[in-house]
Amino acid sequence: MSAPAAAAPALALLQTAALPPLTQPTIVAVAVAYFAVVAAIGTWATRRTRTASDFFVAGQGIGLWPLAIASMAATLSGFAFIGGPGLVYQVGLGAVFIVLPVSLTNAMGAWVLAKRMRLLAEVRDMITVPDAIAARYDSRLAQGLSGVAILIAVIGYMATNVLALGLVIDAIFGIGLPSGIWLGTLITLAYSVSGGILAGVYTDVFQGSIMAAASVLVFAYVLQVGGGMSGLSRTILAADPGFLGPWGKLSPLAALSFFYVFGLGSLGQPHVVHKFYMLKDPRRLKWYPLIMTSALFVTLLLYVGVGLAVKALVAGGTLAPLATADDATPTFLLRFTPVLLAALVFSGVAAAIMSTVNSFMSIGAAVLTHDLPVALGTRLGNELRWGRISTVVISLVAALVAQASGTLVAFLGIFGWGLFASTLVPALAIGLNWEGATREGAVASIATGLALTLLFETLGYMKVYSFPAGVTVSGLSLVASLLVFFGVSWLTRRGRGAAIAPDVRIVMEA
Amino acid sequence: MRSSTRTLAVAALVAATLLIAVAYAAVLLTGATPGWAPWCYMLGTATTMLATIVLGAARGRGGVGRLAVPFAGIYLLLLAGFGAVLAMPPETGADAALWLGLPRRAAIVLYGVGVLPLFLLPIAYALTFDSMTLREQDMALVAEARRAREARAAGAGAAAGEAA
Repeated sequence: MSAPAAAAPALALLQTAALPPLTQPTIVAVAVAYFAVVAAIGTWATRRTRTASDFFVAGQGIGLWPLAIASMAATLSGFAFIGGPGLVYQVGLGAVFIVLPVSLTNAMGAWVLAKRMRLLAEVRDMITVPDAIAARYDSRLAQGLSGVAILIAVIGYMATNVLALGLVIDAIFGIGLPSGIWLGTLITLAYSVSGGILAGVYTDVFQGSIMAAASVLVFAYVLQVGGGMSGLSRTILAADPGFLGPWGKLSPLAALSFFYVFGLGSLGQPHVVHKFYMLKDPRRLKWYPLIMTSALFVTLLLYVGVGLAVKALVAGGTLAPLATADDATPTFLLRFTPVLLAALVFSGVAAAIMSTVNSFMSIGAAVLTHDLPVALGTRLGNELRWGRISTVVISLVAALVAQASGTLVAFLGIFGWGLFASTLVPALAIGLNWEGATREGAVASIATGLALTLLFETLGYMKVYSFPAGVTVSGLSLVASLLVFFGVSWLTRRGRGAAIAPDVRIVMEA
Repeated sequence: MRSSTRTLAVAALVAATLLIAVAYAAVLLTGATPGWAPWCYMLGTATTMLATIVLGAARGRGGVGRLAVPFAGIYLLLLAGFGAVLAMPPETGADAALWLGLPRRAAIVLYGVGVLPLFLLPIAYALTFDSMTLREQDMALVAEARRAREARAAGAGAAAGEAA
């Protein structure tokens, strides 16, 4: 197994290494201005957050553009701007397979989930993704189990993102990693706990728009510095032809595995699909895939471009080889772009991480406040108040975990995407479109995804067992949970668990 | 109303998932990647994507209607794109032919699989949305379902009150 092939899955979602110092007056000033705008949006959203529905699903009152841009921002996090370009620099075009499916996934998500989830919110009061699973299968067990899976993944994902946020804030302000983690957590917590997901959506719109524009500008500098795409390619090909092979330094199976997991797995990401509930009018979904895909496409230009440019600059002798791959973006921005643009991107990275953390805070709090009590047959009296308390608790736990060793945080972050995918894609995405799915099939597939992901990721972390190159835990768990879902549903197709409520059936047939 | 298109899509999804499972199993059992495994995985992945999209887009007896054309296009694009890069020999040296600034196989992946679908699926979705994805009668049915559910809940509440 080649080193890059082994490292790539672990690197894919992580940002655990320190960044170069960025403490320059312009960068600090832009970051302060950025946070001031975020605070202003949080204050505005707080005044509009009066109910649990406002807190968790923005009162089902957001428009198409906020939905698309906020979904784009929640999808990307800081990885797209730091870890992603670093991964391209390290393993070549194979790293692009993580983002390659975006031209398919948003239209797929619109057909498979957006309409059905939004219409479910028309016939019933929906707050969380497990609510949709409970409605589909009339099962509190499925709701509770999916809630547990989401909660585990959320804590791990949040810890990773909070650590990344701490690293970026430390690099900008030079205050040390522990203080960076707490400062980032407290800023995000301040607007999340008061303004809920409404604050998150509109801060996402703000930072997502700026990141899209900044990414296009950075890509223009990439082309200028590298002598166009042809110039970049010629320089890299002369030094390292394999880098620009279609799979880069990865094996074909490893690269295709990325495409599969990040393609199909996109249907199981609760921080994104949960936003479908928030759209004011389901008929406005018409242009959602085009806006969302275009926004993602331009924003990801930085992901691909900076990785290629830095590789070409190193291959051509302009830059020394990087100490760590994650230095690719800071190095390129500080050396080859105007400082104002660099400042916007660095602040945008912090804001992108904050937007993802905000989404996780919201869905994690909703599990504690809503899904688990409902699964246990009860309802909390004041879900808004408990939602705010849960948000604080989850954030503090994630920040404490983030203070732990890098390897533990890395371990927690690795399985987030895979756990979401293997536990939610079959029961939610397939189940809402296939009337042959049964309650038993859903429960079995969620349990399978949860057990396999935790088992094999833990064995890998403890160095007891790891898969050969090309096989990823997330890919294997997704395949297994799908097969269990289909198999158990077929075996129990004549039982009571195959029943579908009349209103849910109408949504499924619409 | 059971949709034969959806049944077909689920069958294709099961078959595609099994193909991916076979590729994984081959690697796990042998510790190496047999030459056929990436082909198997590629076919499984492309079919999974198509089958999932069809599953979401299919409607009753109408199936996917005129969306069949863009869907077939996407499927062919994925198969041809991944198939071509698996089959073509690797480029060597700085004088390799470039397509739009990239070596041929990289260009096929990046532009063919990564960019072209952007101009196909989201636009097909928008152009068929009103007639195939969410029609006015769908909204009316959903509103009626909500009213019926609320009426049942109110009836159950009243009955419980009388019993008390």
